Amino acid sequence: MPSYGHTLRFGVEVRAPAAAPGVVVEAAVLAEQLGADLVLLPEGEDEGGLDAWSLATWTAGRTTTAHVGATRLDPLARPASTLARAAASLQLLSGERALLSLAAGEDPRRLVAAEETVAVLRAMQDTSQPRAPLRGTHQHLDGAEPGPALDREVPVWLHGSHEKAAALAGRVADGWMVDLAELSDERDQAQELARLTAALDSAATGAGRDPREVRRAAVLRADDPLDTDGLVALAVDHGISVLVLPVDGAAGLTARDRYLLERIAPTVRERVEDALPPGTLTDRPVRRADVRARRRPGIAYDEVPESLAGATVEPGDSAFARVRSTYLRGGDPGLVLRPGTVGEVVEAVGFARSHRHLPLGIRSGGHGISGRSTNDGGLVIDVGRLDDITVLDEAARLVRIGPGARWRDVATALQPHGWALSSGDYGGVGVGGLATAGGIGFLGRAHGLTIDHVRAVEMVLADGSLVRASATEHPELFWAVRGAGANFGIAVAFEFQVDQVGDVGWAQLAFQVDDAAAYLQAFGRVVAATPRRTTPFLILSRGVAHVMAMVDSSDPDEIVADLQPFAEIAPLVQQQVVVAPYAAVMNMFPESPHAGRGEPVSRSVLVREITPAFAAASADLIASGAAHWYQIRSVGGAVADVPADATAFAHRDAGFSLTVMGADAGRVDRWFDRVRAHAQGLYLSFESDPDPARVVEAFPPATLERLRRLKAELDPDNLFRDNFPIVHHGTRSAS
Amino acid sequence: MSTDYGHDLLFGTFVTPTNHPAHQAVEQAVVADEAGLDLVTFQDHPYVAKFHDTWTLMAYAAARTSRVRLAANVHNLPLRPPAVLARAAASLDLLSGGRVELGLGAGGFWDGVGAMGGPRRTPGESIEALDEAIQIIRGIWDTESRGGVSVRGRHYDVHGARRGPAPAHPIGIWVGAYKPRILRLVGRAADGWLPSLAYLQGGVSDLTEMNRRIDDAAEAAGRRPTDVRRLLNIGGRFAAQRGGFLQGPPAQWAEELAEVALTYGTSGFVLASDDTTTTQTFAAEVAPAVRELVAAARAS
Ligand SMILES: Cc1cc2nc3c(=O)[nH]c(=O)nc-3n(C[C@H](O)[C@H](O)[C@H](O)COP(=O)(O)OP(=O)(O)OC[C@H]3O[C@@H](n4cnc5c(N)ncnc54)[C@H](O)[C@@H]3O)c2cc1C
Repeated sequence: MPSYGHTLRFGVEVRAPAAAPGVVVEAAVLAEQLGADLVLLPEGEDEGGLDAWSLATWTAGRTTTAHVGATRLDPLARPASTLARAAASLQLLSGERALLSLAAGEDPRRLVAAEETVAVLRAMQDTSQPRAPLRGTHQHLDGAEPGPALDREVPVWLHGSHEKAAALAGRVADGWMVDLAELSDERDQAQELARLTAALDSAATGAGRDPREVRRAAVLRADDPLDTDGLVALAVDHGISVLVLPVDGAAGLTARDRYLLERIAPTVRERVEDALPPGTLTDRPVRRADVRARRRPGIAYDEVPESLAGATVEPGDSAFARVRSTYLRGGDPGLVLRPGTVGEVVEAVGFARSHRHLPLGIRSGGHGISGRSTNDGGLVIDVGRLDDITVLDEAARLVRIGPGARWRDVATALQPHGWALSSGDYGGVGVGGLATAGGIGFLGRAHGLTIDHVRAVEMVLADGSLVRASATEHPELFWAVRGAGANFGIAVAFEFQVDQVGDVGWAQLAFQVDDAAAYLQAFGRVVAATPRRTTPFLILSRGVAHVMAMVDSSDPDEIVADLQPFAEIAPLVQQQVVVAPYAAVMNMFPESPHAGRGEPVSRSVLVREITPAFAAASADLIASGAAHWYQIRSVGGAVADVPADATAFAHRDAGFSLTVMGADAGRVDRWFDRVRAHAQGLYLSFESDPDPARVVEAFPPATLERLRRLKAELDPDNLFRDNFPIVHHGTRSAS
Repeated sequence: MSTDYGHDLLFGTFVTPTNHPAHQAVEQAVVADEAGLDLVTFQDHPYVAKFHDTWTLMAYAAARTSRVRLAANVHNLPLRPPAVLARAAASLDLLSGGRVELGLGAGGFWDGVGAMGGPRRTPGESIEALDEAIQIIRGIWDTESRGGVSVRGRHYDVHGARRGPAPAHPIGIWVGAYKPRILRLVGRAADGWLPSLAYLQGGVSDLTEMNRRIDDAAEAAGRRPTDVRRLLNIGGRFAAQRGGFLQGPPAQWAEELAEVALTYGTSGFVLASDDTTTTQTFAAEVAPAVRELVAAARAS
């Protein structure tokens, strides 16, 4: 008879009289400690019971691992819309441990209300659909804003020990709960159960669902003799995958309750596994039919490796809204894999290899300017969960950082040591994308690029091998990763040697600018004469210039001395200068979920100096209105100390990096091409133009040739190609 | 002129129930708890997807704190069935050892309420519904009386509902109210009044007239004006320089709040704050100073 493939779980349902709230909570907490996978709190029919939702939430606040559910909720008692928000909150607050079960009693009103409540709960969790009205007899929605988008939907179960409830669960729910005590006769239990499960299965199939979408939970009789054979039979013969022990909350866990959790549960688990063909039971989520209906072609969804299955996001999943797009670009990938370990990254790369026909995006923080860490219909491997930050060697200031960490978190973690690592100007940017490309930041002139601090990197290559690259191990790859890393694999850890950095001077100055070209030239001259401890960035728009500068010094005299010449370039309209930790600057902007739309248009050039011709072309561009963003960052200083052939980022002689963004690529390029005429290279992290000519500008000929040689060796099929591929899209690299 | 309803002073915060990051509001409750504040409150707007469900947030925050009292500021009644709310409040009060108060509002943002499937009520209807709801809530909590709770109202028809649970302590029903009719209801039926200073067009001086309406209604209903605690939601900013009302150093705040307490009988100050430092400063430097100033003035 049926197994639906669900691993066996044990739970308790603690009846909760108001007289003993402390005992109830203690029983719940103890059950978790004794290994209960679920702690359920029922809505009481009896006089004066505690409110199930409050109790479940309180219990979630006092437990850490067990799933916590409010059960037997009366679907007539409360607006389903509000229940949906409550469920989402419990899910978020408890760390995805929430569960709810509605009473689908034999009373036809309750059945209807239960069905309507499930529909409302689903609609409220689906942030991808228009806000369609739902008008039921008992429950309505009339354009409510769905959300919040959850990483994992809250499972909705129905509770009822009769055929109608079972069938309704089969049609709409994620689980069905039956009270064995309510089945007509203990001796006929097997027959009764078989009849109910059959009703469930056929209703599910009739609704176009897979019966495995519905987990089956049985609440044991309070006087069940707890014989192992009987419990095994429930699982093996009837496909029951959650065995729930009723607990009297006034008494707390009895010796019998403990005995079940501690002794019987492991034995039953083992015997059930033995009784079924190997591999039958998995924790692999079974997606609902309506979710599967939104799958994209060409992806073997059901072959996602087991270890990753729980951490993938498909277009129909509630988490999709949060992962589909990046900071700057709208996306609609077919599958997002979110490995949580290096081993899982290896598996993800294997899965990607078997989907070579689809686009593949590699994502760490999702801040790529070109937005290629998302795509349309392809795969994304998102290593955002690999975000550990660990100090390896205090004396050597050696720190190991996962690619998913954000620079804000890195700065915050390093600050207590009196350290900092130059990254960029924005704390939300991810380590993985930036540390494989360059890292032009506020401490650049003082301490160099971010990649100049990399001492080792661990990377999963196209063939699935994990390699460690450093000056002595795989030195060629080590060279390549520092500037062109995205072409070679997925970086899963970096080791950085960070700098001793005390509080810094942080200035934000605003100027009135009447002549943009003249201002730019003056800015260039002043930067050239400024000590390298100071790194100024400039944002220029029509009539106004904003200069942001960091001085690697907490000495007010030095700070003022370095800034004063800037203040003299043009009339100063606003100024703020503070002495603050580097981490404070990185924490200026809080994180928010990525919600990019459309295609970003960004252009980059590197120039040695700001020549009159470059300044004039820039001024025309700004005056044209074709760009809404024109930013110059000073480089040079420590960046230029590194020889051009030491890393794949070779434009070491650049004095300035310019980034321009606009809405319309054609319009931007009409003006920007004249600026580009004066360029000596570009920084690929600030470019979004897919024209292969840009790759040639990013990497000088000798660098590019060396990169391509290594590419042919390590990734001959060009698996890694999402952002500025050094060999042409889709083709195999020449060897 | 001075007014004094004789209540001890309460100080609390008014925290945005944002659900992103998920634990931010809970952390702010913990900050209030550790700072020694009396109260932490959250607004309740179930139609806003970026906010937590306020009841769930309160229950979770209650489990994570040990001394501070919690309340909504204030519950959206049309989306919170009174019997469910009453049982939930009593349950959480029992679980938390008597740390729950019940902030109630007649409702508002009717488009949002309607979108969530709730009833759209006129201002008059919403006050009527609030009146009925308070009767139901008190009935549920009253486990001493015999028989079920029956309130056959226009908006709620409860017939013989089971009573209980009874809360651990007498939960205060605090109502957010401004207009005369609902102020009369506050005087007649509520335990507390919780307006926001930002909504008082004439500033704190509006409190005089509003207090009078509550007092009159209380007396007309055979209650005492002191049966209704007067709280006030406030906003402000700590700064080194003295500035406008609640714009300046803690000492200035203390003087200003003591003045409000002594003039209008306000005995609860609830500061809008999502910021740890602001909350800590309010708890450490404002609350004790106000208490001292008020105690000194009351003694004299
Ligand atoms: C607001 C903002 C400010 C910025 N400021 C700066 C700045 O000051 N200085 C600066 O240098 N850059 C800056 N950038 C650019 C940024 O450094 C790059 O866009 C970088 O790629 C972002 O990294 P990420 O991990 O967040 O991006 P993602 O979008 O996750 O990745 C971008 C690309 O990097 C590659 N990649 C990502 N993760 C890995 C990995 N683990 N292994 C191998 N390749 C990987 C992929 O090709 C991917 O398409 C800024 C970007 C934004 C949006």
